[in-house]
Amino acid sequence: MIRQPIQFSTKIGISTVAILASLATYEMLARHQSNINPKQTTVPSLLQFGEGFHEITEANDKGETWLGQDLVATFGRLAVGLGLGVVLSVVIGVAMGAYPWVEALFAPPVLFLAKIPPTAMLAVYFVLFGTEGEMFVAMVGLSVFFTLAQSVYSAAKKDVTDHVVYKAYSLGASSPEVIFEVLWKQILPRVIEAIRLQIGPAMVFLIAAEYVVGDVGFGYRIRIQGRRMNFDVVYIYLVILGASGLGLDWLLNCTRRKLCPWFGE
Amino acid sequence: MAHALTIDAVSHWFGSNKVLNNLNLQISDGQIVAVVGPSGCGKSTLLRAILGTHPPKAGEIRAAGQRVTRPSRAVGIVYQHYALYDFLTAQENVAFGLKLDQTNMAFRTFQFFQWQKLKEQHLQQASEFLCKVGLEKAIHSYPHEMSGGMRQRVAIAQAMIMRPKILLLDEPFGALDESTRTELQMMLLHFYQENLDAREKGEDPPYTILIVTHELNEALYVADRVIGLSQYHADGANGATIVYDRPCPVFHPDDPRDFGRFVEQREELRKAVFDTEENKQHEQYITYWSERQQAESAVS
Repeated sequence: MIRQPIQFSTKIGISTVAILASLATYEMLARHQSNINPKQTTVPSLLQFGEGFHEITEANDKGETWLGQDLVATFGRLAVGLGLGVVLSVVIGVAMGAYPWVEALFAPPVLFLAKIPPTAMLAVYFVLFGTEGEMFVAMVGLSVFFTLAQSVYSAAKKDVTDHVVYKAYSLGASSPEVIFEVLWKQILPRVIEAIRLQIGPAMVFLIAAEYVVGDVGFGYRIRIQGRRMNFDVVYIYLVILGASGLGLDWLLNCTRRKLCPWFGE
Repeated sequence: MAHALTIDAVSHWFGSNKVLNNLNLQISDGQIVAVVGPSGCGKSTLLRAILGTHPPKAGEIRAAGQRVTRPSRAVGIVYQHYALYDFLTAQENVAFGLKLDQTNMAFRTFQFFQWQKLKEQHLQQASEFLCKVGLEKAIHSYPHEMSGGMRQRVAIAQAMIMRPKILLLDEPFGALDESTRTELQMMLLHFYQENLDAREKGEDPPYTILIVTHELNEALYVADRVIGLSQYHADGANGATIVYDRPCPVFHPDDPRDFGRFVEQREELRKAVFDTEENKQHEQYITYWSERQQAESAVS
C-alpha cells in the first residue's frame, strides 16, 4: 500500500545499503578506469581522493591553503549576501503585509523581479557591481531578496488574518506590538522555511558567478581544477558543498523546531 | 444606570448598497444581549462598527462613554473561528492581553527582570481563568492541539480576563457540535449569574455581552434581552434596522434547559424579524425599556 509505514531500523538499513552500494559501484568504476589509464583522475579512486585532499590542504609560503581561502571567500560571500538579503526582505515583506501603502509601492517591482532567474541577471550584476567581492555579495543578496520578500509578504498576508490583528488591538496592542508580537511571531516558521529553500539557489548563483569571473572561491577552484581534469579535487569540493548545504539545512530546521515548537513538522 | 454601549443614529452603506439604517441602541452594564437577524442584514457590519475596525458612515457609537473610532480595550471580541494566536499556549493566549495592556515594548526590553516577575503573575491569573472555564488540563496546549470547543473557551477567557466594557461574541458557537455548544451556553449562564450575584452585593456587574447568533433558541436561552436586526421593515430599502427589542426569560445555571418557556416569544421573534410578508409595524416589538420600567415599578 502507498505510504505504508516502515520501521525506523528498516529505514536506516535501506539507507546504509544504498550509500554503501553507491560507494562500491563508484570504486569499481574508478578501478576499471585506472586499469585503462593509471594516471587518469576523471574518476579518481578513493586512494586518489587522499592525494586530492592533501593538495587542497597543503599550505603555501604564506601559510594559506586552497581550501581555507575558498571556504573563507565562498562562505563569507554567502553569509554576508544571505544576511543582507534576509534582513532586507523580512523588513520589506513584513511591511508589505502590514501596510497597504507599502504593499502598493513594493509589490509590483518585487513580484516582477522575483520571476527573473538571477543567473540571467549575471551580466547586469557585473555591470552594476563590477567583478570584485562586492558583486558576489550583491548578487546573492539581491537574488535572495526578491524571492524571499515575496514569500514573507505572502505569509504576512495569508497567515495573519484580519481577525487576529483586530483582536490584538482590542487587547490593547499598539501597531508596533501587532507587528512584533503577532505578525512576526506568526510568520517566523514560514520565514525560516523560506530561508532554507533559498540557500540552495543562493549557492547555485554564487558558484556560477565565481565560476565565470571569480579568482578565489569554490566556483573558481572547480573551474580551474576541472579544466586540468583534477577531479580528485573537484569531487572533494562538491562533497564539501553538499555537506555544507545539508548542515545549514539541518541547522535551520533545528532553529525552527526550537523557536517555533507550535508549528509541528 | 450606566450604559456600556450607546449606538446613536448609526447608518452604514457600501456605495449604493445601504446596509444599516438609523440604528439606535443602549446596552446597560451587566446585560447579555442577543442579536438575531436574517443573513445579510448587517449583523457583522454592526459588530465591526462597534469593535471600531469599520466605523459607521453616519451616527456615533460610544463604549463606556468614549466614542469608538478604532479598536480599543473597551470592546472585546470573540470570533466564530477563535482567532487564537497559534504560537502561544492556552495559558499564554489568555495572558497575552494582560501583557499588552499592562506593559509596553520598552518595559519588556529594558526592565527585563521586572517584566519576568510580572509575566509570572499574568500567567498565574491566566491559569485561574482557564480553570474557571474548565480548561485546567489544557493550560500548556497549543491551539492546534485543542478541540474547537476548547479553543473557543480559551478565546472567551482571553477576552473576558481583560474585563472589557462590552464583549462581542460573533456567532461564537456556530462551528461547534451540539454538546459543546450546550456546555458553552451553560458557561454564559454562569457569567450572567456572576452579574446577578454582583448586583445583589451592590457591586458593578463584571460582564456585559453582545452575542450575535443565528439560533433563536440560543438567543432566548443565554440572553436577558433579545434584539432583532432586519431589512424587512417599512423603510427596508434604506437598510436594516432594529425591528425587535424585548426582554427574554432569564435562565440560571441550575434551571432545566426548557425551551418551552419561550415558545411564544420565539414565534413572535421569527415573525417580527424573519417574515418577509408580514407588514411590519415594528415599533410594537421595541418595548425593552418600557417593559423594564414596568417590571422595576412592580418590584418597588
